[in-house]
Amino acid sequence: MREILVEPLARVEGDGGITVRIDGDKIKEVSFNVLEGTRLVETLVVGKTPEEDVSIACRICAICTLSHRYAALRGLEKALGITKLPPKAQLMRTLMHMGEFVESNSLHVFVLALPDFLGFPSAIAMAGKYGNEVLKALALKKYGNKIMRLTSGRMIHGENPTIGGFGRYLDRTTLLELKKEAQEQIEFAELGVQLVGGIDIPSYFEKETVFMCCEPGDGEFGVMGDQIRISDGKTVPVEEYRSLTNELFSPHSAAKHCLYQGKPYTVGAIARLNNLGDRLKGRSLKLYEKYWNKRWLKNPVFNNLAQAIELVWCLETIPVLVDAILEIDEDPALVKPSRMDGEGVGAVEAPRGTLYHNYRLKDGLVAEANLIIPTGQSLEDIDKYLRIAVEELLKQKADDQKIRMQCEIIARAYDPCISCSTHMVRIERV
Amino acid sequence: MERKKLDIGLYGFTGCNGDQLVIVHSEDKLLDFFGAANIKSFSLAKSDNDESALDIAFIEGSIANREQAEHVKHIRERSRMLVAIGSCAVYGGIQSMHVKPSWEERFKKVYGNNKLDVRTPTPSLPVGEVVKVDFSLPGCPIDADQFFYVFGQLLRGQTPAMPDYPVCAECRWKENECLLLKGIFCVGPVTAGGCQAVCPSHNLPCLGCWGPVKEGNADSHIALLKEKGYSLEAIQNRMGMHAGAGIPESVKKLLGA
Ligand code: SF4
Ligand code: SF4
Repeated sequence: MREILVEPLARVEGDGGITVRIDGDKIKEVSFNVLEGTRLVETLVVGKTPEEDVSIACRICAICTLSHRYAALRGLEKALGITKLPPKAQLMRTLMHMGEFVESNSLHVFVLALPDFLGFPSAIAMAGKYGNEVLKALALKKYGNKIMRLTSGRMIHGENPTIGGFGRYLDRTTLLELKKEAQEQIEFAELGVQLVGGIDIPSYFEKETVFMCCEPGDGEFGVMGDQIRISDGKTVPVEEYRSLTNELFSPHSAAKHCLYQGKPYTVGAIARLNNLGDRLKGRSLKLYEKYWNKRWLKNPVFNNLAQAIELVWCLETIPVLVDAILEIDEDPALVKPSRMDGEGVGAVEAPRGTLYHNYRLKDGLVAEANLIIPTGQSLEDIDKYLRIAVEELLKQKADDQKIRMQCEIIARAYDPCISCSTHMVRIERV
Repeated sequence: MERKKLDIGLYGFTGCNGDQLVIVHSEDKLLDFFGAANIKSFSLAKSDNDESALDIAFIEGSIANREQAEHVKHIRERSRMLVAIGSCAVYGGIQSMHVKPSWEERFKKVYGNNKLDVRTPTPSLPVGEVVKVDFSLPGCPIDADQFFYVFGQLLRGQTPAMPDYPVCAECRWKENECLLLKGIFCVGPVTAGGCQAVCPSHNLPCLGCWGPVKEGNADSHIALLKEKGYSLEAIQNRMGMHAGAGIPESVKKLLGA
């Protein structure tokens, strides 16, 4: 029996691994394993106030802390009867969300994924040959962090975005600085797309799948919405998320897996570009038109390139947001809840895909919580593509090293977020 | 004479990876950081990790399954010094929160009777309850400047000095208007300083994510909480939210109850 274990899978966030077991020329097992300890977050927030919930829930993940915060805020605000935020608060939320996309996508594309393709163990090791690119990529990531830090109050788990708005708003000078920096960074982001777009992506494991993402509902490209857009043409209200994400238990993973109509599906940048990419404008549209092709519908490794194109979109969007915020002088007060009992589903796109936070409140306290996390939704597809790849590689008589490397590239392309996925758990209604 | 570079490892256990990311996010210092010491293992950032003897092991996250307990014991055996970073490692984190029902019941609620074949989950423990910890750096997440300061001191073989005052002290240095005076429940008086009073500076109350302040160093601030009439239970619940199960006891001590 041949056994290939990748454990831990390096350069991903959290404790994950890949197991491949081969008997002769037969595959016994191929699986992506979530090895992280469980935290049972959904059971921790029961009995807490909405503010406390937001503060606990964002700690599920440090990379997408603001997406968790955003989804939690939306779910809770709906439950509290807060249906609309003042324009300035809404714009600030979008700005903070953009910061996270810049941070997370640049971290993944340039620091975590690219070393595989250029043959280095880390971005730091890459710095010798690609010094300039590494420094610029780090500067771009730093810019994303800066937006997160300024809008949320600190680099990670900042409490400033709160129920009903923000504790404090940004001043004019800071906003103008953010705008200027977006305009300066965009050139490198475009170069980054070319760098990633120039990489050969193997095609031997290609196969069609289903893609899902938030539907912004305004005809524009976007990363949040109250409906879900599916690549089979359907659009479904987020309240019906359970019918899209049927969860199942898998003994090799501390995270629950999801299926759509009994089939695996993929979420994340590649899903967003496949479903909504033709709505991009300006420079990001040009890049999308240049690089998108039908192989994207079958090959998850294009996710890296999709993330790179989204970076350009973010940098085009930020100056527009800043201008809109600057037009509103007065900082709005926090919107007060209109009820203390209710239920709400908040869905946003985290950089790795659709994130759902569903809460039921009773007497102002959380009575029940259900969170569905992006990586959990893609897990069945990760397993599927790994299996196809191993089957094909066995036919080609590939050695263990090659199998290992290809599996790592596929799993890492999904940008799996393992801290998040251990919260892919469901609580039965009591 | 050039000093020998120290061998360092960074490990993430159960948590959100926020503390390791604070380090990765410090772009300006990152290349220096990789240069100042010999970073032998840091699986979040690189794949050519070498698991042998270390001078300093930095541990993030709590210990939440049997395999993690074995792993951290193994790291302890081959490390001269072991440093817990972040409130998960230091206190157990949100996952060690004092809640009902028991961990076993909650686990069952979530996973049913299913068995995981890859890991043996256990209730989450602070690193210090599994192995000896030489130095603790709390925070959720840790503060970057504080980490690089501690790192520098340890590289030089010195013991870092940590703030022994509560968040209130930092809040007053910033000349914020006290939230308690506005009727907002803030646990700054019983929480260790180090965050630069970030939440009160955004008009939002401190939620205690840095863990409790040292005993005997916040008496006058704590008097403020008592004066406002907040119950021991309310304070314990708040403090026990971000840091672990042991917090309610330490808050009791702080408040002299
Ligand atoms: S202490 Fe906070 S930042 Fe660090 S791993 Fe735990 S939850 Fe994340
Ligand atoms: S109680 Fe809170 S707001 Fe008041 S001084 Fe202390 S930290 Fe600041």
